[in-house]
Amino acid sequence: MSSSWLVWLIGCVVLLVAGLATALVPRRRAREQTLEGAWLAAHAAIDSATVSRDAATTRSVDAEQLLARAEAISSGRGGRAAAREAAALARRADHLWQAADGG
Amino acid sequence: MADSADSSVQPARRPRVHALVEWLRWLVLAAAVVMLVVFLVAQGQRADVRYGQSPATGTIAEGSAGELTGETLPSVQQLTAMLAANRVVRLPGSVAQWDTDQVARAIGGADVRILVTPPGLSEQQREEVDSVDNATVRVIGTEVSGDIYQVAPGNLADWRDTLGRADVTSALVLLINKVAHGSTVTHAGSGTGGGWRDPTAAELTTVAADLRSTGIHASNGATLSAAPTKATTQAFGAGGALYVALPTAPLDAPAPDYGPALGRLFPDTPIVVMYGDWIEYQGPHAADFAELAAASFYARFGDRLSAYAYSQDQVLGAYLTTVSGIRYAGLFDRPLPYRPADPLRIALPALPWLFAACVLAFLALSVRSLRRPAAASRSLSRRGGGDDARLAGLTALAVEVSGLTGAHTDPALARAIIQLRAAREALDEGLPRRRVRDLLDGADRELDVVGRRIEFRGYRPAEYLRGRLA
Repeated sequence: MSSSWLVWLIGCVVLLVAGLATALVPRRRAREQTLEGAWLAAHAAIDSATVSRDAATTRSVDAEQLLARAEAISSGRGGRAAAREAAALARRADHLWQAADGG
Repeated sequence: MADSADSSVQPARRPRVHALVEWLRWLVLAAAVVMLVVFLVAQGQRADVRYGQSPATGTIAEGSAGELTGETLPSVQQLTAMLAANRVVRLPGSVAQWDTDQVARAIGGADVRILVTPPGLSEQQREEVDSVDNATVRVIGTEVSGDIYQVAPGNLADWRDTLGRADVTSALVLLINKVAHGSTVTHAGSGTGGGWRDPTAAELTTVAADLRSTGIHASNGATLSAAPTKATTQAFGAGGALYVALPTAPLDAPAPDYGPALGRLFPDTPIVVMYGDWIEYQGPHAADFAELAAASFYARFGDRLSAYAYSQDQVLGAYLTTVSGIRYAGLFDRPLPYRPADPLRIALPALPWLFAACVLAFLALSVRSLRRPAAASRSLSRRGGGDDARLAGLTALAVEVSGLTGAHTDPALARAIIQLRAAREALDEGLPRRRVRDLLDGADRELDVVGRRIEFRGYRPAEYLRGRLA
């Protein structure tokens, strides 16, 4: 019995670890993916804003400041809140340029 | 487009395999938990050291077996008066017999009064008999007692005389010597009783004929009604046994001893011969267990058999129970009947390894399900929405309108392409669908702007996509 006790014990531990891993790893991965998605959107927004800036005939200091802030935030690679803020800033800058350009 | 068509084949199969693996994973986990529980429960089991589990269940409850004869006794005063008038009082229904010459020699000149009652008295009747003060010796059935003493047979020969012949001579002699003469002898010599003889040819023929036809012979006065089939199988195996039931033999002449003669007639067959309450076994393995069975049976039940009136059916049943008990105790080497093996006992040594196998399977399936989720979730997102088709459609539109744009539409097209590229990346990475849809919506808006500004109709995304789908 003494040898089989070890089997039971190790088996239980392995079961627990495997169960926890299958429960926690996908959750963490999903979180990472959301973050990645948020940054993807933020970069897309910044790129769009850059295109708008290059196409704009008139300069907009406000928009340039906003875009600079967005780029500064995105260079730091923060969390979801940072990504969301960068996206929002870039979008606002984009709107400003597009509005200045005459829509 | 080719990529989209190619990957749309897989999702139909993948999720099913994935769901199957998930099911299997839970199944294996449940099996492991069940095994763990069984193992833990089995830890509480006590070891059973018996060789085999005897199926015999024989208990004798007071009065329930009809061992009380229900005879009515005279009152204590009447009995006292009767004993005062006679040296020996035999009440109707008495069965005890003795050699009067030997007993008279033992009594000698002493004043010994003997009260003989039938067997099977109730508790209250026994107390009444005990309270007859002038009785030197009381014989209830074949149980002999007197003063503070009670005589019990000391060996199998004594039991045979007492129960097979109702012969209490030696017990009476012993007790009278003790009570009347203060003898220090505590063991009687074997009774010289009526003796035994070989059965005559005529007697043997009658019994053998019965045994050959029905397997049981019960002569006049015997109380055996039928052979107990189930108890016989338990005690002697499937081969069965032959039963001969005879009443208690009278003392005045030698009684026929059927055992050896029948043993010669029916070799290798278990033969049980009953003389009253005395049972003899003749047949295979007799030397191994017959004495042992008789000794353990009469040592345990002899007291009750001598004082009460059990039928031969009940005596035989109890005897067969004893034989089964001995057989299953493994005291002698006889084959046991088939007993189904306890699955738990067999499975227990393998249980840890089965458990380990389940754990490993669970582990492997867990790792597999951990390594696959990207593919799985991507396939799920593709299966659900038309994001893929929409992305392809919008990309195609962007390519088509790229040749038609002017300076005032270029930035919008560039922004749309940026959004489309991000959407493609999000789709490839298996990112959340909401994100993909947001990016596609953005591209849609930009392309709408482009479509409105160029001079050709039909290049706004809504129109273009509808046309593509139709």
